[in-house]
Amino acid sequence: MRTRDPPVNTRAFRGLAAFLWTEVLVQAHEELAMAASMMVQSVLLVFVWILAPSLLGVAFVGAILYSMFTMGQRVLNEAAYVRIDHKANDLYLAGPMSPEAYFVGMATGILVVYVAPVVLLGVIATAVVHLTWAQGTLLFALSATVWVFSASVGYIFSTFFRDNRAIWAYSSLFFNVFGVLPPVFYPFHLWPAALAPIALLMPPSAAAALVQASLGITQLSSGETLLAVAGLVVETVALFLFAIYWARRTVREK
Amino acid sequence: MTTTMRSEFPRVPTNGRALPAFLIVGWRWISRNPAVAITPILLPFIFLYFLSLISPPSALPLEIVGAMMFTMQNIGSWVLGDSAYWRIEHSLQDMFVASPLSRVRYLFGIAFSNLIAMLPALAILMVLLAWAGAREGTPLTLGAFFVLVASLAVLWVLFSSVGIGISSRIRTQREIWPVGNLTFTILGMLTPLYYPLSALPPLWQDAARFLPATYAALLVQGALGITPASPAQMVLYAVLLVAAATVGLVVMLRLYRWGEA
Repeated sequence: MRTRDPPVNTRAFRGLAAFLWTEVLVQAHEELAMAASMMVQSVLLVFVWILAPSLLGVAFVGAILYSMFTMGQRVLNEAAYVRIDHKANDLYLAGPMSPEAYFVGMATGILVVYVAPVVLLGVIATAVVHLTWAQGTLLFALSATVWVFSASVGYIFSTFFRDNRAIWAYSSLFFNVFGVLPPVFYPFHLWPAALAPIALLMPPSAAAALVQASLGITQLSSGETLLAVAGLVVETVALFLFAIYWARRTVREK
Repeated sequence: MTTTMRSEFPRVPTNGRALPAFLIVGWRWISRNPAVAITPILLPFIFLYFLSLISPPSALPLEIVGAMMFTMQNIGSWVLGDSAYWRIEHSLQDMFVASPLSRVRYLFGIAFSNLIAMLPALAILMVLLAWAGAREGTPLTLGAFFVLVASLAVLWVLFSSVGIGISSRIRTQREIWPVGNLTFTILGMLTPLYYPLSALPPLWQDAARFLPATYAALLVQGALGITPASPAQMVLYAVLLVAAATVGLVVMLRLYRWGEA
């Protein structure tokens, strides 16, 4: 069934605060999921600690960016679970809450809860890398950008699933290929030079390269810096706007 | 139950073909979801790629063996996911409980169906190991091959039983991913799959010696000549692997709820 309009006319972002708080309360009971969300980062940090301790600073910065990136995986899981298993999104979206408030509220609620272990990583990273205020601010801004990108990707992807069982395989593939394979946990110069533009166009590795450059670990040319910044901004803004459009569009479909 | 079935329904077959049936389940699952086949192949390679960047080239054979054991460990996580999903979402386990299928056959069935998805990854890793071993002076001999296959088989049974044992205690779908992820990642991190045992801090080494996968890793590393081990040590590792795996299996089978859930 397809209707011309959403079930109830709502103003933009109506119900955001209420749904954000609902999601915080839901996620706050997910201690196991919170611990599990840090597992890949922990494994890679252990690898670096045992095999190449000199790269621990880079790995900690990478772990922060990767943690923000994988919050998109939580958004994907949560949005798919609420829709497929509980069918609760029909209930939420039949009410006065706007579709974009549903998406942004869910993503922000997850962020509020899951950011705690990332802050802990940040504290350790500050001690290991000795970040200045400027470097810390840059890392914060880039982490936030990566989060917006991944939350948008996660929400859009979640709408394609019809079966909870298939989610893990696809989301794990996506978030590990884009978060672990490119130079996020290791210095940018170890990535093949011929493929540098590809890494600079992937938000997690672009953000990591910019932080590494600010720390003096990696040298980026002005062209590479421009590509990383422009790619990150354009991709994030475009995807966020598309996620809002997609949230509004999919609410009209059954 | 089988005796009752035979007396009440004499025409109903009580000796089915559980493993071939689960083989088809495994094949249909990966053929309908290509990512399910690709993910288990790619994940160990992503870790291998990362490790190859931060460790010396001579460590590659050890890391490939680690990736193979990590793959077997992943089967446990998938068994956990499948059995919990079928039980909670589809109430399928009730049907199996009511059938002549025993819980051990069910365990092997799910383990077997998930092994199908992992076989391409294992085959590629085996070829890589032969190549990297020859390059680094630790060739994959026939003896080492058999030790490797036997160790992987023990881990397959053990981790599958860990997966199904824990899955039978899971109550909601939300718990499946975090419980599986935490259990198998912690087990994998504690054991020296991707690095030699001697590289770990002393306390960690002591903790690792309680886990069966540690002896599987030591046995295979010894058979390949990556970590020197005398024949007596090899026998000791094999005995400890079987003993620790047996203890693990007994504990998991006690934890495993079949018909009483």
